[in-house]
Amino acid sequence: MREIVVEHMARVEGHGTIRVVVEGVVVKDVKFEIFEGPRFIEKVLVGRTFREAPDIVSRICSICPDPHSIASVRAAEKAFGVAVTEQTKLLRELQLLGDIISSHALHLYLLALPDFLGYPDALSMLDKYGREVKMGLQLKKAGNRVKEVLTGRSIHGCTARVGGYSRTPTREELEELLSLLKQSMEGAELAVKLFSSIDVPDFPRGENLFMALDPGERFGFIGDYVLVSTGERYPVEDYKKLTNELAVPHSTAKHSSYRGEPFMVGALPRVVLNKGKLKGRALEMLEEVEDKFDIANPLTNNLAQAIEAVYAVERSIEVVEELLDRGIKPEAPVEFKPKSGEGVGAVEAPRGVLYHYYKFDDEGRIVEADIITPTAQNAANIEKYLRISAERLLSRGVERLEPMLELVPRAYDPCISCSAHLVKVIRLKSSN
Amino acid sequence: MAGKVRVGFYSLTGCAGDLLSILNIEDRLLEIFEKVELVEFVMASSNVKPGGVDIAFVEGSVTTEKDLKALKEIRAKCDRLVALGDCAVWGGVQASLTGLDPRELMKSVYGTEQNLYGFLGEHKPLSEVVKVDLELPGCPIEQEEFIKAFVSLLRGDLPEVKDYPVCIECKIREVPCLVVEKGEACLGPITVGGCKARCPYHGVPCIGCRGPIKDEANVAGELLMLMEKGWKPLDAINRMKLFAARYKDLAKLVGRG
Repeated sequence: MREIVVEHMARVEGHGTIRVVVEGVVVKDVKFEIFEGPRFIEKVLVGRTFREAPDIVSRICSICPDPHSIASVRAAEKAFGVAVTEQTKLLRELQLLGDIISSHALHLYLLALPDFLGYPDALSMLDKYGREVKMGLQLKKAGNRVKEVLTGRSIHGCTARVGGYSRTPTREELEELLSLLKQSMEGAELAVKLFSSIDVPDFPRGENLFMALDPGERFGFIGDYVLVSTGERYPVEDYKKLTNELAVPHSTAKHSSYRGEPFMVGALPRVVLNKGKLKGRALEMLEEVEDKFDIANPLTNNLAQAIEAVYAVERSIEVVEELLDRGIKPEAPVEFKPKSGEGVGAVEAPRGVLYHYYKFDDEGRIVEADIITPTAQNAANIEKYLRISAERLLSRGVERLEPMLELVPRAYDPCISCSAHLVKVIRLKSSN
Repeated sequence: MAGKVRVGFYSLTGCAGDLLSILNIEDRLLEIFEKVELVEFVMASSNVKPGGVDIAFVEGSVTTEKDLKALKEIRAKCDRLVALGDCAVWGGVQASLTGLDPRELMKSVYGTEQNLYGFLGEHKPLSEVVKVDLELPGCPIEQEEFIKAFVSLLRGDLPEVKDYPVCIECKIREVPCLVVEKGEACLGPITVGGCKARCPYHGVPCIGCRGPIKDEANVAGELLMLMEKGWKPLDAINRMKLFAARYKDLAKLVGRG
């Protein structure tokens, strides 16, 4: 019996460890351990008012603070019966697109690409792939700049409020974004070219179950219904039935299942379930790389992220143009009175569906909070594919599993907040 | 030839936002890293070099036994230790739970009273555990402040520490006072400046994310001011506790001093 451990994976946002126990060619146990210290954010919220919630929940994650704060204000708006303006809807869409762009650029160019090109990091790639790295950074910057303009900064912005925004961007700021976004299109397209030219290993193949929000008529990242690849569709209020969270001792992220089956959320499920809603350059590029788009292989998530990056840049340009055409005007959040009640707000974060549930008292004070993150939903699915991968690699006689196994969680772009250790292997006993 | 300054970036419990703020300095990132020998930055690189470091940048709060062990190891192998961001300087938003029963916390979020994750029972700033040479506040840190500090440290100096409130920066940017004009629960008066009053400028009150001005923030005065504006003491204290729960005067005020 031997234990294969990839301790504290590098280039993921958090403290994660892979642990696989192997006996001969049989996989006895697989664990994707998440050891991010518990912060009890839901408990921080209790007793505070709806006003503080978007600022607190953005602190859950530095890569996706925007989905957290928008899910939070949407939950409160449902509970209080608040309808926002068309301008606010467009600004929220743009804010989420900015987050998708910066997060996907970070993951594709700085975290995942070094794996496939055989480097420890993007900095070491500069000599040979300087253009790629610089274009990746430029793409990331465009997404971050969208967030800065809309929310005050790229991490933990402050303007997303229940009912709207505390500050409206100016025409000049939007024009600046327009030019920056247009320049960054090339970096998004290059990501599709890079990730479709890489030979993606096929060892993690196996039928998967997907979930994504139904974005309505157009591909997007906000919705009130969840689509399941079985063909079912549920209101987000049924989120508990869809996720079945369970605390497990080896992870501070709870584990999810749907009817007892692990499922996947994120770019791949979104592109698969909402493919018919893609358009423009993103759809063209998806059709060009169709033969590389293997939906049974979670490693395809990288390519799906690249397709989404193209979509997000293209759609951001459209949204900015629409805001300019309509004549952007300073607009305070709509007025409302808090009341007792409950609400579920859901958005698509870069890594998948994110749910926020709150119950309020009649002053708008939070009496109960429940937040279900995409990485928590994906954890059981990651373990499923680690097992499939380990079994297949062993049956092919592969001895050194670690670098291969590490590809699997990284493809999900797990958001467990950054880490500080070397990849190493512990063999408890030598293999039979 | 003397070698380059050896630098390591480390992360304890938090959202990774301070290290990400550094990766977000897109325009100057490559230039910054060329000047040093990068010993460790696991979020960005799987290349980790052995040996000590001249400067260790640490983000996150000391929340788990693992954090505690890691921090002591970092302290032992570095010359200068820099705390990055509110979690490392004040314990982060999670430190607002200080004083609550850890078993009850586990039960409410994870459904079991068992301490599954080596939780220390509270979320501490680095300075409560080891000697810290410099603290860069903010949730997250300000990029400009980081670059200035980085350059000073490379020269062997320590940068000047800010000791004025956010209010000064509202005056400089000519932002109308949110407390006076609108009666909002703004924490600008007790919070250390350096953010160019970002939140008030964007139309929302300061939530105190840069932490209280060390040894000078008048939290009792802030409480009285907010009560005069009609805020319930509970809400006003909750607001201050979000980023300043481990500031001793506030701890006294809420009865834990």
